[in-house]
Amino acid sequence: MPDVEMKASNEKGTKAEDTKTSEEAKPAPPPNPVAEIKSNLGFIDRGVSTLEPRFTHRVLRTLTSLRKRIDDTTLHTVIEEVYPKGTFNDSLCAPGQLRADSSTKAALLSWLPASASAHSMEVDATTSNSPKPPTVEPCPEGEVYLRLLILHQLLTNAANYTKAVDLSLETIEKMKVWNRRSMDPIAAKVWYAVERAYELSGKLADARPLFLAAQRTAALRHDDESQASLINRLLRSYVYYSLYDQADKLVSKTTFPPSAGNPQLARYHYYLGRIKAVQLNYSEAHTNLQQAIRRAPPQKVAPGFYQAVHKFFIVVELLMGDIPERSLFRHPVLEKALNAYFAIVKAVRTGSLSQFQATLSKHAAQFEADKTYTLIVRLRQNVIKTGIRRLSLSYSRISLREICVKLHLDSEEDAEYIVGKAIRDGVIEGKIVHEKGWMECGGQKGGYGPEVGEVFARRIGYCLDLHNQSVKAMRYPVNAHRKELAAAEGAREREKELAKEIQEGDLDDEDLGGDF
Amino acid sequence: MAQRQLGELYQQLQRAFNSNASDLNKCGALLAQLKIGLIEAGLLLPQGNPNKEDLVVARDILEIGAFWSIRTRDVPSFDRYFAQLQTFYTDYSSLLPPSKREFPIRGLNLIRLLTQNRIADFHTTLESLPIRADEIADNPYISHPVNLERWLMEGSYSKVWNAREEAPAEEYKFFVDSLMGTIRNEIASCEEAAYESLPLRDAATLLFFTKQSDLLRFAEQRKWQVNLVAGSLTFAKKDEEKLEIPKQKLIAASLAYARELEQIV
Repeated sequence: MPDVEMKASNEKGTKAEDTKTSEEAKPAPPPNPVAEIKSNLGFIDRGVSTLEPRFTHRVLRTLTSLRKRIDDTTLHTVIEEVYPKGTFNDSLCAPGQLRADSSTKAALLSWLPASASAHSMEVDATTSNSPKPPTVEPCPEGEVYLRLLILHQLLTNAANYTKAVDLSLETIEKMKVWNRRSMDPIAAKVWYAVERAYELSGKLADARPLFLAAQRTAALRHDDESQASLINRLLRSYVYYSLYDQADKLVSKTTFPPSAGNPQLARYHYYLGRIKAVQLNYSEAHTNLQQAIRRAPPQKVAPGFYQAVHKFFIVVELLMGDIPERSLFRHPVLEKALNAYFAIVKAVRTGSLSQFQATLSKHAAQFEADKTYTLIVRLRQNVIKTGIRRLSLSYSRISLREICVKLHLDSEEDAEYIVGKAIRDGVIEGKIVHEKGWMECGGQKGGYGPEVGEVFARRIGYCLDLHNQSVKAMRYPVNAHRKELAAAEGAREREKELAKEIQEGDLDDEDLGGDF
Repeated sequence: MAQRQLGELYQQLQRAFNSNASDLNKCGALLAQLKIGLIEAGLLLPQGNPNKEDLVVARDILEIGAFWSIRTRDVPSFDRYFAQLQTFYTDYSSLLPPSKREFPIRGLNLIRLLTQNRIADFHTTLESLPIRADEIADNPYISHPVNLERWLMEGSYSKVWNAREEAPAEEYKFFVDSLMGTIRNEIASCEEAAYESLPLRDAATLLFFTKQSDLLRFAEQRKWQVNLVAGSLTFAKKDEEKLEIPKQKLIAASLAYARELEQIV
């Protein structure tokens, strides 16, 4: 279960996924949030003490589903329960430590609205079934995790955005002071929450210096997770303000950590694809967007991301002169979102300039909101090219005037230039006979040649690479092979017995199951 | 340099620039002095929170500088002025009143990218313009280069040719000549591919030549065969591309597959 931080997904279609995510996380019905957070804190503790980041990752995987179920009260209860009570064990702790304990707790509680506290007292009394109150504070990682949850909680309410920014700043400061490597996975998530806080309060640009500094630090410490997260944060910030130049420079100056998780990689590819598309590097944009689609979280879980990537993917595919598959527009997640794009594809496919213009102006507002407008405007030439190609396929000789009429071009003169360019660009095979004023279309190229072999080689390469990557990604738990050995031993025993029985003739035809 | 002196120079520059036949040499000299003054006042690349009026003056000076570079046909200098203006246009856009010269200069920058055939940069710049994409058509300074680019990409060269007189500002015309050179080369390469031969007269129309001598010189450059008697141009036929099987590549690929399969099985 990847994290679903993709923007649009927050708005639409998350209800159905919510249940699904938790189901995937654990087959049993989800325990109540309080218990879950507490067990998560336990996992984090274990992860830190055994130096096994796996446990922390496991906790973070449930973050998305969890954060939709928490509220102020839940958080309040959790903090009350996991932090030692102020009055508890005066004798055991040094007075100084006791004060420190309660200050952390008070600090955390201060971010939650006070009204929740009264309510929480009851909950505390009724649901608290822990055998004994805790005596030690959760580790710093636990505290940051709690802060992360509070942050997400604050972000659900527009009135709390400024508070969220303050809390995120304080949390970053704390993370810097602690400087613990075991905190890195959680820190990566905190950076996302920081970005959200800034973005929702409408000052994303202000957070940029913060991210840049943190990115440098993360790179120096080989903190791959934070680095991946931060690079994406920065790219998002640049792309948001259409600063493609800066974004491109950032990409060329940084290396995206290869060990980063799929969700971050998907996002990275998405931004790369957008940058490349703006720079007219369509084939690379296509590859990047395809990667983003492949690496994206399941469609039902993050429909927003899936839709956003597909919008760009379709436009880039059109710009490359391909027509996207029809089935794409019937996909349940995409069907509605891609309506306008489907209309554009239809216009390009038929090569009708007037239909293209009409569709463009009809859906201009949506394209503008999706930031695909300028890309779609570039499609004009593709519409013409498709039209010419269609004509060249159906006619062996056609006059320029006819071309002009069929493609709604302004003049015959234009048509001559356009056809000339199409021939030069290799869109069609043919020649113009100027004296007679017509275009003669040549035969089609055979579709078989060395380039087929190249495509084939690329695909095989991809499959082999995938195989090798999956072999490398397998985990081998310690001592697990012993069990397997024992099982194999048992199987061999049984086989021997069976062989013996057969030999002795105990096993006759009836035993083999045929009682006809 | 004192602030007051800077102000005087600025006024001189404005007078020199706005007078009918603006004195380019004088402007250049004044600009050089002003730039030094701006650096000393910390306004060339403003940092922190300088005075708002000072910023407007600095921006004005740089804008005049940008126009001056175009008038003196100094493109690299225009490039530098534009880069310096970027700070004012993007980072201080919320602070300063919008400048009426901003879009002409941005448009000029777009045309410059177009004439240098830097189409990718052209689109990147276009993308980062502070106006909504569907409003571009309403802005004459921006829509001019955008249309030119579209026609160039489509191949509607005659429209580009006709639009050369419709420039929204005087300075745009400076780029027309180099743009026409670009177009001619484009058309020529299209003709080479699309025609076997062309009558001389039609070739001249297609390439927008009015005099035959110009056409003949151009044909010589591109190594076209001219038949003056029949009055026609013949283009060199492209060689039939030979299909060759890349043996070495195929063998290497097959060996690589064999090795990988060996590992898997």
